[in-house]
Amino acid sequence: MSVVIDGKYLILKDRHYTETDEWILINGNIATVGITDYAQKKLKDIVGIELPQVGREVIIGEQVAVVESVKAAADIFSPLSGSVLEVNKELQSSPETINKDPYGRGWIFKLKIKDEKEVSKLLNFEQYIISIKQREGI
Amino acid sequence: MFSSPLLDIETKLNADIGEFANWKMPMKYTSYQDEHLLVRRSVAFFDISHMGRLKVSGNQNELELLVSKEISKNKPNSIIGPTAFLNDKGGFEDDVMIYKVSENEFLIVTNAINREKITNWIGKNSGLNVEDLTFKYGMLAIQGRNVWNFIEKAEVKPLEFILNTKFLGENVFLLSRSGWTGEDGLEVWADANTLTSIIQKLLKLGIKPAGLIARDSLRQEMGYVLYGEDIDSNITPVEARYWVFSLDKDFIGKEKIMEHIENGVNRIRLGFKLKKDDRLLPRKDYKIKSPLGSRDVGYVTSSTFSPYLNRVIGMGYIKPEYAYIGYELAIDIRGKQVKAKISDFPLINTR
Repeated sequence: MSVVIDGKYLILKDRHYTETDEWILINGNIATVGITDYAQKKLKDIVGIELPQVGREVIIGEQVAVVESVKAAADIFSPLSGSVLEVNKELQSSPETINKDPYGRGWIFKLKIKDEKEVSKLLNFEQYIISIKQREGI
Repeated sequence: MFSSPLLDIETKLNADIGEFANWKMPMKYTSYQDEHLLVRRSVAFFDISHMGRLKVSGNQNELELLVSKEISKNKPNSIIGPTAFLNDKGGFEDDVMIYKVSENEFLIVTNAINREKITNWIGKNSGLNVEDLTFKYGMLAIQGRNVWNFIEKAEVKPLEFILNTKFLGENVFLLSRSGWTGEDGLEVWADANTLTSIIQKLLKLGIKPAGLIARDSLRQEMGYVLYGEDIDSNITPVEARYWVFSLDKDFIGKEKIMEHIENGVNRIRLGFKLKKDDRLLPRKDYKIKSPLGSRDVGYVTSSTFSPYLNRVIGMGYIKPEYAYIGYELAIDIRGKQVKAKISDFPLINTR
């Protein structure tokens, strides 16, 4: 299930979002995190990534990764507190996967959720659509 | 904000439209890496309508004093360039291509951000008449080593141009043979409708579009500068190692150039290459450090991921005492010291 904003930006209904354009797919106490289609389109061609260390303890809002695009270096923030369970190592040699498949093979890291109450602080897809529309003035 | 006159057809071609130098332009269509490699291996076309196009008329000797390369000796229908307008401190007002139409008429292609500045600067420093043709014509570049496999070989020779001619059956104002990618190719100036027809014909011939991101990575591989990034009004051609001047003539800024040649410079432009696994882009003004990281020895002005070399490349200014080709310096990328091998231009060997 998905929505396309302004004919351009794909938003999936099955996940949560942040104002800083991360998406979060929650499965039990594990959160898979990536950047949204909107974010990858704004960044344009992605050419590199700095991934977090597996096992690292992070708190909500902490900078955990950097996505390098031809346009800018974008910080990726942890949407929840927890520990980094797994990172998508394939992105190191083919970071452009984030451009090609931001919600699928372009996932960035998985987090073991520490405090499930924090999930309520995330945006649902409707709130994220409003956030993009505000930023785009549409 | 200005817009390319070709945005309608480009939008239909799925262009990702972005902003460059206060112009709305196609940044890419698919991925810049694919478009880049298309130019290196085959051919693609670019919309470069954002570049300033000026018609300058009057006494050739007056223009000769403003521009750093000799223009009097050139024949009509030849292109002098790249060359530059320098200020009295030898710094770049702009780097330009000059098309000599006749002894008293020239067409000048400026960087998009400098179009108005150069119009005013010529007016202030000479009695030459300047007419801005930027909004009268758009401009397309067709670039790539296989260009003649797709298009019948043009009559125009490298660094020459023809006015009021036919291209792909269309009447165009100008057809020239130069480029900014390191590959062979053509440029066409024509009104928007004509260029739209030409784009449709190019597509039918199998030539695909490319955007300005690919243009940027192509020029960086060759070591070509971008105004505002790698050169500006404080940098001289000697520092930039950009041989856009002739010492056999007088021109504004020559004195400072002579001084730099006589006494040496405190910084020179060189390229660098990162290791294959270091997929980090050193951004403009990031510091270049001595090999062990104890001293600041320069700064970055441009960088990109080279699709041809499959690694990060870039350029910047380095103190001459550290500017050895093959030397491994470090670049401070957000606190991380990343090794960078100093390299001369071009950064790729295309043949």
